[in-house]
Amino acid sequence: MSSGRTALSSTELSVLVLLDGKSTVAQVQARAGSLPAKAVEEALERLLRSGHIAPAVDVTSDHIDPGNFFAASASESEAAAATLQANGYFVKFAQRAAQPRNLAAGEKITVLVVEDDPQLAKLVRTYFQMEGMETRLAGNREEINAALRQPPKPDAIVLDVMLPDIDGFDVLARVRQHDAVKDIPVIMMTAKATREAVLKGLERGASGYITKPFNIETVLVAVKTVLGLRK
Amino acid sequence: MNPLEELQAEYRRELPQKLETIAVLWSARRVAELHRALHTLAGSAGTFGLPQLSAAAREAESYLEACGPALDARQQAGFQQLFDAVVASAA
Repeated sequence: MSSGRTALSSTELSVLVLLDGKSTVAQVQARAGSLPAKAVEEALERLLRSGHIAPAVDVTSDHIDPGNFFAASASESEAAAATLQANGYFVKFAQRAAQPRNLAAGEKITVLVVEDDPQLAKLVRTYFQMEGMETRLAGNREEINAALRQPPKPDAIVLDVMLPDIDGFDVLARVRQHDAVKDIPVIMMTAKATREAVLKGLERGASGYITKPFNIETVLVAVKTVLGLRK
Repeated sequence: MNPLEELQAEYRRELPQKLETIAVLWSARRVAELHRALHTLAGSAGTFGLPQLSAAAREAESYLEACGPALDARQQAGFQQLFDAVVASAA
């Protein structure tokens, strides 16, 4: 698998999304499907060394606690801040921007929120506006196209997966192929929290992944993380 | 009441209408639309402070996914129980 915009290998990504903060190494290995147990163990060790997971005790014992994901060292250009639970309910993953960004006086961030549930869209917009961000809403293919053409170019996109007339993963793929917008960080926001869905998003170049239901503040933190803004 | 609390109150006010829509879809056995409505409910309810409803909706959504587009009599009975749980958790 191409790992898109992340420096993690496909095996590491596969292992990462299996962690839930409470499983033993043996349980993670059992859930890893076709991945050999040795490969899982080695991937865990690499993730530990790179700082993507934090152990409660040594990984070679039979227990790890990767619940407290955190950014890798600043020397890593693609550091990641992540918290994952593999129970299908909550995933929060946002790649930290390579460079911090400071806003000039009066400068505002514009976020395109692609969400077809009007109440959720309104919630995100309201919260972002309270935080001083401009928000553009889109709920279907036509509105997405219009919103991407409208100046100024969005600084970030928060993208629902299940849309009425297009799949959010397809939107992501198209954004990544389009010269004018391919560098915009995209945070997937979806109720689909399966391992496959997370991997699909990361593989196609998502900068972040949040599953519903979410805490609204989580979305804001993710946007700030991928843009390199101070939280 | 701040704007976020207002939105939450609005969501709860409109919840009976959402459940009614889902009930109509279930009565008509419009499975694809029903699945989508449950998916949306699962995603939104927890965000608006109703985690039990969210979990019940997600369970019903997952059940439909496993059943496929046409439910046999046993599957319909199984879904009915899950649908009742969705309604109960919204009360």
